[in-house]
Amino acid sequence: MDRNQLMKWIKAPTKMAHKYSLNAVYFCTGCGVIEVPPTITSRWDAERFGVVPTATARQANLFLITGYVSVKTLRAIIRTYEQMPEPKYTVGFGSCTINGGMYWDSYNTINQLDKYIPIDGYIAGCMPRPEAIFVAVTHLWTLIDKDMADGYKRYRKNYAAYRANQEMILGEMEWPPIFQTEVATAITEREG
Amino acid sequence: MTNPLGTRLDATFKGVELRSGVDGRLAVVVPREAIVPVLTFLKEDGYDYLQLISCVDWIDRGEFELVYLLSFYTEDEVGRDGGKQEVLLKATVPREQASAPTATGVFAIAEPHEREIHELYGIHFEGHPRLTPLFLDRDYEIPPFRKDFDTKQYVADVFDRVPPIDEEG
Amino acid sequence: MRELELYFGPQHLGMVGNFSITLKVEGDRILEATANPGYLHRGFEKLMEGRSWIKNFPMVCRINLVDPDHMEMIYAMGVEKLAGIEVPERAQFVRSIYLELARVSSHLFGLWAYANMLGFDTVSNWAMYHRDLVLDLFEELTGGRVYHIYVWPGGVRRDFPEGFTDRMVSTLHSIGGCVPDYDTTFFNNKLFSERARGVGVVSREEALAMGGVGQVIRATGMKYDVRKVDPYAAYDRVPWEVHTRDDGDAYSRICVVRDEMIESVHMIFNLIDAMPEGDVYNRVPNPLKWKIPAGEAYVRCESSRGELGLYLVSDGGEKPHRVHFRTPSYAHGLAILEKTLVGANIADVGNIMMSMYVVAPEIDR
Ligand code: SF4
Repeated sequence: MDRNQLMKWIKAPTKMAHKYSLNAVYFCTGCGVIEVPPTITSRWDAERFGVVPTATARQANLFLITGYVSVKTLRAIIRTYEQMPEPKYTVGFGSCTINGGMYWDSYNTINQLDKYIPIDGYIAGCMPRPEAIFVAVTHLWTLIDKDMADGYKRYRKNYAAYRANQEMILGEMEWPPIFQTEVATAITEREG
Repeated sequence: MTNPLGTRLDATFKGVELRSGVDGRLAVVVPREAIVPVLTFLKEDGYDYLQLISCVDWIDRGEFELVYLLSFYTEDEVGRDGGKQEVLLKATVPREQASAPTATGVFAIAEPHEREIHELYGIHFEGHPRLTPLFLDRDYEIPPFRKDFDTKQYVADVFDRVPPIDEEG
Repeated sequence: MRELELYFGPQHLGMVGNFSITLKVEGDRILEATANPGYLHRGFEKLMEGRSWIKNFPMVCRINLVDPDHMEMIYAMGVEKLAGIEVPERAQFVRSIYLELARVSSHLFGLWAYANMLGFDTVSNWAMYHRDLVLDLFEELTGGRVYHIYVWPGGVRRDFPEGFTDRMVSTLHSIGGCVPDYDTTFFNNKLFSERARGVGVVSREEALAMGGVGQVIRATGMKYDVRKVDPYAAYDRVPWEVHTRDDGDAYSRICVVRDEMIESVHMIFNLIDAMPEGDVYNRVPNPLKWKIPAGEAYVRCESSRGELGLYLVSDGGEKPHRVHFRTPSYAHGLAILEKTLVGANIADVGNIMMSMYVVAPEIDR
């Protein structure tokens, strides 16, 4: 560990800690999920990068959205995302999350995921290879270092807009808004 | 047609039309009221395996065609020539007033198939125990698998309407 | 005791795949189970009606992510039947070898999921590693790890590259050499067999009444396999056996999977020996303007989870008029699972579901 690294640890220990222990939610959302098991098992071994799957959303801080999102899944995704504690990072895996991919004309898949929840980064490809996940993870580290992986802050800040978009597709949702607008603004202002 | 099963079907039921079906299958066209009796007859005849219930939308003719594919469990090679044939049972349902009797009483596996057809084509199955939605979360005005449902238009109207989030605002 | 309603999935550790089940429980006992699919519904069959015959190949393989090759195969078979295209003899052998490789990789994935669910992490890591070795073969052959689009109407896209069969044989030997290890740590391990014996019993009558196929009925002693019953590709050219067990429980089902994997490997060796020389591809008309005569076809093949069927209707145009897949998980996941779960423990839901190898996207399509 060089001096630079050491200073980072001393200055912002929590940030460094969660940067190197990304706990991914165990949620298989689309066909991209077929590359996740190889990634987390012995051959590619995502644990080298500190990525481990976690059973529950309440203990996770990385949400890999692996592929196309149907309307029914969107509900589950939002619910899962809102249950994760902050700071949390989302990565869209595969072209389906970017613009709908090959299901651009399907009546049941939402095309652009970042209209509904904030996304910190995308992995392009239909099906991206396991290496691509690692590239994404290292890239996410850089973003976290530079404080640019701020999806959860954006979510809080623009919560009203996100919620409106979600309701456009899902209709009335069963759970109340997680942020009151004023509270969200207050937290955002305090954190700067 | 010289076919033992066909002859028997012809003798037992009225309005049964026989066609030579695809690759060795026997295609039987029946009126919609006769679906359940014919299925029962075939089941007693050894056709114990309902492979599929499908539905085809022939919008020009203004009707749906329900297709029941019947086969049987066996441990030997199916005799393609001379042996027992598989059966393709067809019935038409008008597009307005689309309803048909349920086959759940004869084959248990008909239940999810009919539920799916009800949801995607809007055909009502009389007597079905639970015609609740199976796959879909949203309500569609026209059931999505009908030919007059335009998916591209729907995507433009619904998903593309959702505005992107204005990060600055 | 009070009745509770329990939502099992889609985000749940005991749930592989995007699927959910609503359970009505009393204490630890399940009173009623309702499968709740649709999380992966994309309306494939509708989308395929809007794309030309050839453009549908990338679509079909995405219906089943675990075993995409049988999807390609069945669609190619359907198109060939409608258009009346012959397939050269060598291509039939190549297809069979390719499909058996796919079966091995898919079964290894299933083994991963099952072992992982029960907490046998060693075995699950092995299975996933061995699957990756098979994927390397696929990558060499087709260029893709998961989705290959190798089977094509009229044959396959290209012949085996130089030296491919040797590499395939040596990979399969090295996987096969680990079977004793798998046996001692998993299949014959008391920890596992106690957990799986007598769980999720499906009797033969039940299975047949609800359209069960594949391992579910082969675990009840019924030798039903489409490769034997209605042979396609080159399955009737080489000798092989259908493996069955008699108890109909989760343990029997997973043992059928094990035996099938070994049989597949032997079959590949036999197929390689019997493979004739020749072309692997018959030219089809310009695929971009390909009109297929009006008609209908029903074709079936044996995917890694059981009988897979395709009902295809053409109205003489450039696009299909109706496509309908009859997938094995449909019957298993919607009808048989709901029945089998009644009376089971909550902890066994994943166990039963994975022993039937229910793959959610196949149900939803
Ligand atoms: S990007 Fe491709 S691989 Fe990923 S979910 Fe979409 S279709 Fe599947």
